[in-house]
Amino acid sequence: MTLKIEHLTGGYTGVPVIKDINLEIKPGEALGLIGLNGAGKSTTIKHILGLLRPQKGSIVLNDINLTQQPTKFKRQVAYIPETPVLYPELTLKEHLELTMLSYHLDEEKAWKRAHELLKIFRLDDKLDWLPIHFSKGMRQKVMIVSAFLANTSLLVIDEPFTGLDPLAVANLIDLIKQAIADGKMVLMTTHVLADAQQAISNYAVLNNGTIEVIGSLTDIRQHYGLKPDDPFDKLYQTLNQVDRHG
Amino acid sequence: MDKIAKQRLSENLKQSVKYLTLVFNDFFILALIFLFGALMFWYAQSMKTMPANLWFYKPLVGFIMWLPLLTGKLVTLIKKADMQFLFTQDEQMDDYLKPMFRYSLVLPYILIILLAGILFPFATIKAGINGYSYLVLVLSMLSIKATELEIAKRNLYFGRRINVTVQNISALILAVIATYLPILILAVVVVLNICLTPNFQPVFDKKMNVKTVFDWRYAVESEKARKDRVYAIFSMFTDVEEKQVTIRRRKYLDFLLPKSLAKENPNSFLYRRSLLRNPDYLNLLVRMTFFAILVSWLVQDWRWALGLSALVVFLTVYQLMPLATEFDSNIMYRVYPIQRGGRGKDLIKAINTALLLQWLLISIFWLIVLPINLHLAEAIVVLLVFVLLVTIVYLPQKVKHLDQRR
Repeated sequence: MTLKIEHLTGGYTGVPVIKDINLEIKPGEALGLIGLNGAGKSTTIKHILGLLRPQKGSIVLNDINLTQQPTKFKRQVAYIPETPVLYPELTLKEHLELTMLSYHLDEEKAWKRAHELLKIFRLDDKLDWLPIHFSKGMRQKVMIVSAFLANTSLLVIDEPFTGLDPLAVANLIDLIKQAIADGKMVLMTTHVLADAQQAISNYAVLNNGTIEVIGSLTDIRQHYGLKPDDPFDKLYQTLNQVDRHG
Repeated sequence: MDKIAKQRLSENLKQSVKYLTLVFNDFFILALIFLFGALMFWYAQSMKTMPANLWFYKPLVGFIMWLPLLTGKLVTLIKKADMQFLFTQDEQMDDYLKPMFRYSLVLPYILIILLAGILFPFATIKAGINGYSYLVLVLSMLSIKATELEIAKRNLYFGRRINVTVQNISALILAVIATYLPILILAVVVVLNICLTPNFQPVFDKKMNVKTVFDWRYAVESEKARKDRVYAIFSMFTDVEEKQVTIRRRKYLDFLLPKSLAKENPNSFLYRRSLLRNPDYLNLLVRMTFFAILVSWLVQDWRWALGLSALVVFLTVYQLMPLATEFDSNIMYRVYPIQRGGRGKDLIKAINTALLLQWLLISIFWLIVLPINLHLAEAIVVLLVFVLLVTIVYLPQKVKHLDQRR
């Protein structure tokens, strides 16, 4: 029961954006993917979601290869995108119903869980609304509720804190912690390390399409010659220098 | 700003020409020639038998001449990004809007002159308006349109706005009065137009908008609404990639959806809801059904009604086909574990329900508007068979073809 990414090379055209990525996440583990804009974080995620076809390498989740059994693979992955992507013609309730149908969830159990999640994110009185008319933060909450409802073994989360109010950020962190405690795997990209480190202790630094270091934030600071108490923006400044000067 | 305006106008013209070429294709032109010919023939015949100088002729001329005033709203081509990038250009917006104003006049002026030419025999012979007065009436209409656009231009600035409905009603009243007193109305409209010019601002400072602060939000929204209307017209004939639809909840149609999730799968779930809530599809269904009923009523013959309604059903199916790939551009549709293999069957099921509903409505209205006899009953059954053939034979072929193309 692991997510294994081996020698993953890929991108949008023939020119690879990410090169020879190797990652492994075990049940109950979470990995933060960090790096500057354009480092290849979103491209890596798109490959894991099957939105891009790898040029080389493999992505295997719980012994299921994405390229060979895409639907079976996807049934074990839930995704929270950076920008909410909704169906304009569906109500909030119908988004949840579609999740239940797609992931073959038991309706009764799923609704019980859905009501819990809706209550956490204060959406329980908006079930009959079209979420496209919601604010950005509320739309993001719909994505979060749908992803956690899917109850998959892997959660892929792309910049989840954008547009959320502090209370929703805290709620999301609690849910991620709970998912990890329940033995799920979490892969998250973020720039907001102060929030992320409340739930995630392991990070991979992507720079220029390759993984430079994997470890705790202390290990990463050490790798780049920073002091343990240096602020996070200093880490990004260092990454910028590494990116410019190689 | 003048340069930006001209560049945008040129792009807009290019885009309009692209869609107009698709709309006015060979078949449509042929149909238009026939329709126009039939209308002109009917008009010429009616002119021979129609009594002259009835009391309502002049108001009728005014009403007909008012209709083209409803077309040609102010084209501003203001984009959402302008709120950010042209935000500081309030004072230059007048320069930007000048070429836009001239461009906006073209379509309504062509329509006014065309209609004036067609209406000329009726107005002069039957309604008793002399040639000179008729010319002044036409000039009044042209001036009213220019005034309307000038007001639309002023409405783009913060301040008191003149409602479009008020403008339309005033224009109708002026158009009707102009058939009796054309010179007076022309004079009134010209004076009104002069008063709207910047030189006369002090007079209207308190009542009308003073061109100071440009209302970007209003300008963006009204241009978007105008473009949506134009795209909605184009999309009746061809696919319009720029078109953005506004989905409505339409809770009152929920009774057409299955009550239980057990009867659904992700694709049928999405197709059914899109058919009911996406105005592209629902309006198409309503429009085509209404059209079938209208032509059936006009022809008053079960054979023609059957043939034309069958054609309408076929065209409905043809135009519903974009629904097949509607969700492909949605990332979540591709991320969710949704099987795409069998979705053609789900699409056929959804469209089949819609067509049966269309058949039912057409049949009910046939019973109301056509003479009831055995032939009509046969026509209803034949139309049902045609609907079933379309869904059983044609639709699977079309879906297969779409899948192969993808």
